Amino acid sequence: MKYIITIVSFIGISLLILLAKAISNSDLISSDSFRALLGLNILFIFSLIVLIGFQIFRLLQNVKKEITGSRLTLRLVMSFALMGVVPVLIVYLVSVNFLTKSIESWFDVKVESALEGGLTLGQKTIDILMKDIELKGKSIAYSIGNVDPEQRYSLLTDLREKFRIQDAVIFDQNSIIIEVSSEKSDLIPPIPNIKDLEKGGRGFFGRIEEKDGEQIFLKTFTPILTKNVNSKTLILQLTQPIPPSIANLALSVESVYSEYQQLTYSRNSLKIIYILTLTLVLLLALLSSVSASFVISRRFSSPLAMLADATRQISKGNYKKIISKQGKDEIGVLISSFNSMTSQLEDATNNSEKDRERLEVSRTFLETILAHLTTGVIVLDQAKIIRLNNIAASKILKIKSSDMSNMPMSEIVDKYLLFKPMYEFVESYIDSDKKNKKEESQEFKLNKENEQESTIMLQITPIKNNKDKSYVLVIDDISEVTQAQRHRAWGEIARRLAHEIKNPLTPIQLSAERIQHKFKNKLNKEDSEILERSTNTIVNQVNSLKIMVNEFAEYARPTKIQKDAVQIDELIDEVVALYEIEKNITIKKDRKIPTIYADQNKLRQVIINLLENSQDALKEIKNKKIMISIRNKIGGIELTVEDNGVGIPDIIIGRIFEPYVTSKKTGTGLGLAIVHKIVEEHEGKITIDRIKNSGTRVTINLKIREK
Amino acid sequence: MRYFKRISLIVLVALLSLILMNLYSLPDGKIVIKDMVLSKKNNINKYKMPDYLISFNQEINFDYLIINAIDKGIPLVFKVVLRVAETNEIWPTKIIKKEIRYYQIEYKALREVYKTIDINGETHEYQNILDAFEKLSKVEGFRFTAANNKNYELWLNVSLDKKKLPKPLQVNYFDTTWNMSSEKKIHKLGKLN
Repeated sequence: MKYIITIVSFIGISLLILLAKAISNSDLISSDSFRALLGLNILFIFSLIVLIGFQIFRLLQNVKKEITGSRLTLRLVMSFALMGVVPVLIVYLVSVNFLTKSIESWFDVKVESALEGGLTLGQKTIDILMKDIELKGKSIAYSIGNVDPEQRYSLLTDLREKFRIQDAVIFDQNSIIIEVSSEKSDLIPPIPNIKDLEKGGRGFFGRIEEKDGEQIFLKTFTPILTKNVNSKTLILQLTQPIPPSIANLALSVESVYSEYQQLTYSRNSLKIIYILTLTLVLLLALLSSVSASFVISRRFSSPLAMLADATRQISKGNYKKIISKQGKDEIGVLISSFNSMTSQLEDATNNSEKDRERLEVSRTFLETILAHLTTGVIVLDQAKIIRLNNIAASKILKIKSSDMSNMPMSEIVDKYLLFKPMYEFVESYIDSDKKNKKEESQEFKLNKENEQESTIMLQITPIKNNKDKSYVLVIDDISEVTQAQRHRAWGEIARRLAHEIKNPLTPIQLSAERIQHKFKNKLNKEDSEILERSTNTIVNQVNSLKIMVNEFAEYARPTKIQKDAVQIDELIDEVVALYEIEKNITIKKDRKIPTIYADQNKLRQVIINLLENSQDALKEIKNKKIMISIRNKIGGIELTVEDNGVGIPDIIIGRIFEPYVTSKKTGTGLGLAIVHKIVEEHEGKITIDRIKNSGTRVTINLKIREK
Repeated sequence: MRYFKRISLIVLVALLSLILMNLYSLPDGKIVIKDMVLSKKNNINKYKMPDYLISFNQEINFDYLIINAIDKGIPLVFKVVLRVAETNEIWPTKIIKKEIRYYQIEYKALREVYKTIDINGETHEYQNILDAFEKLSKVEGFRFTAANNKNYELWLNVSLDKKKLPKPLQVNYFDTTWNMSSEKKIHKLGKLN
């Protein structure tokens, strides 16, 4: 379309030049080629209108479709068209006005009067000459009429010469030449028109004749009245040329007058043709300029449209968009700068992307580390909102990770009152006015319902970012450590008790037995019975103390495990056989239980202690049930002993593995402590849970270890 | 398809222009040919075929604008086109004679006469315009030779030759005053003997 408009504009300008040349050439203006040129111009104008209409339609459609650059093109086209139309229209109106007035001024009244005057002057001059000839003719006719026919020729010649007439011919009424006298000797006069002769016969008659458009002749016919009434009527024809100086002037005036009259008559046509030509020129100029304005507008707007499109592409993240070069003008410089900017932006984005990837890798790395840490990590901001937490933190605190993320710590505390001391510690640390805060740590005991008491070490450390302050809470579950420390302490107490109490027991028992033996027979019956009862009480209590001390000694005894291959299911069968009378023990086990390496005697003691505990718990229960299950686990086995007994009170369940902690009325409270110790010695794990309605479940996990 | 539409549009415009141009040159009844006479001359020419002479009268309806134009000195030249064709039922028409002649009327302001020149070039001058018109209404002098027992047809047209008008009048295409033409009619002459 761009080429079509260019070609059309070129043709338009060519036609404009041809039209301008044609109008200035009067020969060309009347020719068929001018008519063809006019037709061609009109056809071309029509084509231009169609083309421009099509362009406008297409442009408006583009605007409607919101194609980039179309609005700018429309605005530019309108501006260019307006810039072209207004001045051309002004010039056109002025030209038409000027032309009309100029044409009118050609036909000035004074010119017309002068020409008419000149023509009348010529006519009057000819009339005077005609009058002169008339007089001469009448004089000659009179003279000839009064002479005899023999004397006519000589008289005619004399008078002709006297009056300086060029030709004198006498005709009769039948156009027969009677006499001829001429300056030219060889004159053969033409036969006059019969009507002229008839007119001349009736009286004087004169006429003006023109020859070859150069000469004017006066021809007069005068009747000759003779004396003889019976003779034929003769007519004298005189021919006299008007002097060339007068004739040329008169003919010249006639010619100019005629041309002037023609021009006067055709002035409207002149106006119309000039206005038509001007209008065609105007339309050609206007339409060509409007057509050209489309090309120019597109030329201007296309780089800007490309820029807009490229900007849109960049905003969508496509930095590969490069605009082709558009010359060396300001737009070219702009495009070059834009391309440079795009390239820099692409580099910057690539670098940023790489940085982001690196950051992502670091973040993933950190998250992986945090996720695999057994230590809980929580990051708080100044507002005490949890910004980051790892899985270990939610495991230790036993709160869902989703309940923690981006939650204010205060809300969590509202939900879990358990953590209030922790929150108070954190709050006081964060809200304190200290400038250079150092890390601080504190232990907290958490007692959750139905669960063992756990001990948590909370360490808080400030992180300094640019402006925002964050805090890292490092949470460690140190329950096992504290428990181990406690067990160690209990072991030491037990060992000392065993050592300090056990030694005096035997002398006390022996002394009591000796007192009984020595004084039994020396006392009366009544005293003897009192002595015996007292000494027996001493002996019995000492025995009880011995049992208790032995148990303590057993608990405190240093570890000496003799590992052998143990088939735990068989061991359980063996132990359960001892409790066969009860018939309330059910065993569930997987098909094949692997052999583990452990101290068989100690494991037997574990099973016996657990069964004893269950038996004790079931004393007041009617439908007694004990269920032992052995299951294979990855890398080990899981032994569960479950009963539907009275269960363990909440108050002691957290410390149930500590020595001297028991819910039974009788007992040392060392059974489960010993079990716990043996399991720990085997690097196993033991947990105790309350069953929902009633009962207790003890779960022991043991590893399969090589000898 | 798009180019085809454009070409079709251009062709349509061209056709419309041609139709308008033809309508523009249609006869308007200002010149009516009548009383056409075909007379046989007895002299036999070198082809041993008789000569025929065509004469006709014409009624020229000059409106006042044209009379005014004549009085203003604008010469009017009329063109007479005559074609005689030999017709045959089998063969295409064969033109045996084609002749173009002119006659004119002009006003001479100095002498105040109307000067006429007929198709044979004879000049006449009249004091009265009606006499001049009377003279122009009679056209005679077209001569052609024809064989016996053959069919002939005559095509005759009289029109004002606008190319002889002053130039401004020639290019004023909107002025129909100067559109003077007789009906373009074929006169069947039949067999001449």
